[in-house]
Amino acid sequence: MGEQLLNELVLPVVYILCIAVPLILAVAMFVYWERKVIGWMHVRMGPNKVGPWGLLQAFADVVKLLIKEVILPSSANRFLYYLAPLLALVPAFAAWAVVPFDDRMVLANVNAGLLYLLAMTSLGVYGIILAGWASNSRYALLGAMRSAAQVISYELAMGLSLVCVLVLAGSLNLTDIVHAQAGGKGLFDWFWLPLLPVFIVYFISGVAETNRAPFDVAEGESEIVAGFHVEYSGSAFAIFFLAEYANMILVSFLASIFFLGGWLSPLQGWIHADAPNWVNWIWTGSIIWLLIKAFLMSFLFLWFRATFPRYRYDQIMRLGWKVFIPITIVWVLVAGCMKYFGLVLAGTGA
Amino acid sequence: MIDTNLLQLICFYGFAAVTVGAALAVISLKNSVHAVLSLVLAFFSTACIWLLAEAEFLAIALIVVYVGAVMVLFLFVVMMLDIKMEQVREGFIRYLPVGIIVALVMLAEMLALIGVRAMHAHVMGANPATVAGLSNTAWLGEALYSQYLLPFEVAALILTVGVVVAVALTLRHRGDKKHESASEQVRVNPRDRIRVVKMAPSRPDEPTSSEEPLQ
Amino acid sequence: MITLSHFIVLGAVLFCIAVAGLFINRKNVIVLLMAIELMLLAVNMNFVAFSRFLGDVSGQVFVFFILTVAAAESAIGLAILVLLFRNRSTVNVAEIDSMKG
Repeated sequence: MGEQLLNELVLPVVYILCIAVPLILAVAMFVYWERKVIGWMHVRMGPNKVGPWGLLQAFADVVKLLIKEVILPSSANRFLYYLAPLLALVPAFAAWAVVPFDDRMVLANVNAGLLYLLAMTSLGVYGIILAGWASNSRYALLGAMRSAAQVISYELAMGLSLVCVLVLAGSLNLTDIVHAQAGGKGLFDWFWLPLLPVFIVYFISGVAETNRAPFDVAEGESEIVAGFHVEYSGSAFAIFFLAEYANMILVSFLASIFFLGGWLSPLQGWIHADAPNWVNWIWTGSIIWLLIKAFLMSFLFLWFRATFPRYRYDQIMRLGWKVFIPITIVWVLVAGCMKYFGLVLAGTGA
Repeated sequence: MIDTNLLQLICFYGFAAVTVGAALAVISLKNSVHAVLSLVLAFFSTACIWLLAEAEFLAIALIVVYVGAVMVLFLFVVMMLDIKMEQVREGFIRYLPVGIIVALVMLAEMLALIGVRAMHAHVMGANPATVAGLSNTAWLGEALYSQYLLPFEVAALILTVGVVVAVALTLRHRGDKKHESASEQVRVNPRDRIRVVKMAPSRPDEPTSSEEPLQ
Repeated sequence: MITLSHFIVLGAVLFCIAVAGLFINRKNVIVLLMAIELMLLAVNMNFVAFSRFLGDVSGQVFVFFILTVAAAESAIGLAILVLLFRNRSTVNVAEIDSMKG
């Protein structure tokens, strides 16, 4: 009885905490890193007062947000107003359940993992829409409307590009998708090569899905103040913030898993040497490679933000519907042909 | 020992209660946005019930298609349209008894017709997909792409027609709206827009007497 | 133990709630559309349950098709609704009577 309770109840909770707590810390450090990097790109210092090199700035911000008052706007819908931040946060964290960090390190190794991810990312939009509607503010409603249309449009492109991945991998299981990219040619066996246009479409759609610059019309500080979360303050705002950054990190991880071989090493098959374990991972692959890849992908988010001006709304819609979706539809066909004629030997391990 | 069957039954009753409660809320709530959200809840808990029946693919597809897309469209429309609720709610009380009576009679007839008792003997057996050695998705996919290929293609056609119809219905060309054509912008030749003139460098003219330099 | 009757009864209850919804919300097109979605959901519930209990894949294939067609149906229905509201500024079924002779 006691042992079963431990196995079925306590251990999963511990595993969940093992993912959630580092994720929250990663968000905090990512915010610091973002401000620092954008500061350097602007030839500024970035945060440098709190702690050594300003490292504790993020924690100071969190404390500040948590002790501030959450203000309920007059004639706002109280229940939905408080529910909305949670609806944004829950899918952003729930999606991590199926993300494989290593060969065996995955919380839920489900068969339909990719579908589950699509479902979770499509749920995030409710938090934004309800926040905009329940705030009873014009700016918030405009931001919510923009965001809803944008997220739905880019979800199509995202879903279709994932269809290309699963055609090549032949599986919906994320661990299997990574295994399908293993081979003797190292990084040239990964899916970014046969699916290069789709990889680019996927990542840009991910940027649009998370409402990040240059697709941040949902927030659009200069036009609609802060969009859907204009009325939120204190910890409610902090939850939106947490959800947005957790989603960014998630998209970086997923891009690494689907297209950059997850935890596989880019040198796999090039070096055959016997070395102690702490050197071995460089060519046999480990979670460290996944973290490096995800870090590089998430750096792109910051780079985009510092580089590109914001798109206009109709330009975003045009890009999604008239450019990305046709490209991915064509590439589904191309990927099917590649698979059929055996040009990509995915899943064979060759 | 945790009894799996009992746990499943408890889960089923919990999700079923949520589904029925949400369905009742859909038809009775005054605020349309709340009604749409209740429908979302109904879909979500139905997906959970389908998971109990080990129909993973359809459960997640229900969430992706309905909760993720169709209900967002509903919300979008309900929020965009400025609906006067008092007007469309008139007659709610008048038709309430009729509705309840019809629903109850129908429920009784249906339950009598299908014979609940006989069905009660059907206990959930082994998952047919697992028996065939496949995952639920693969099991469904194999039937879909072999036996049901033609209906599948027809369904794709129906969706395409749906997209075209929805766009064609709501598109309107207003004369007073300014919009740009991206393809026209891309096709622009810089020579049509800008003329580069070469000029010999020259000194500025000597100030004339009429233009006194300011001190 | 979950039996087939659990699913079938739940489907029947959902269907009857949807029918009651059609009766008591006769004026509001949006709620009518939502009641239709509920009906389809109830039907899908039966299909999934029968497919699972009888071990036949056709039931789940049918649910797949119903989902597809219902998505197209609600997209077109909402488009018509938007058009209607734009031209008549009402979603009241009783007021949409311009075809009356």
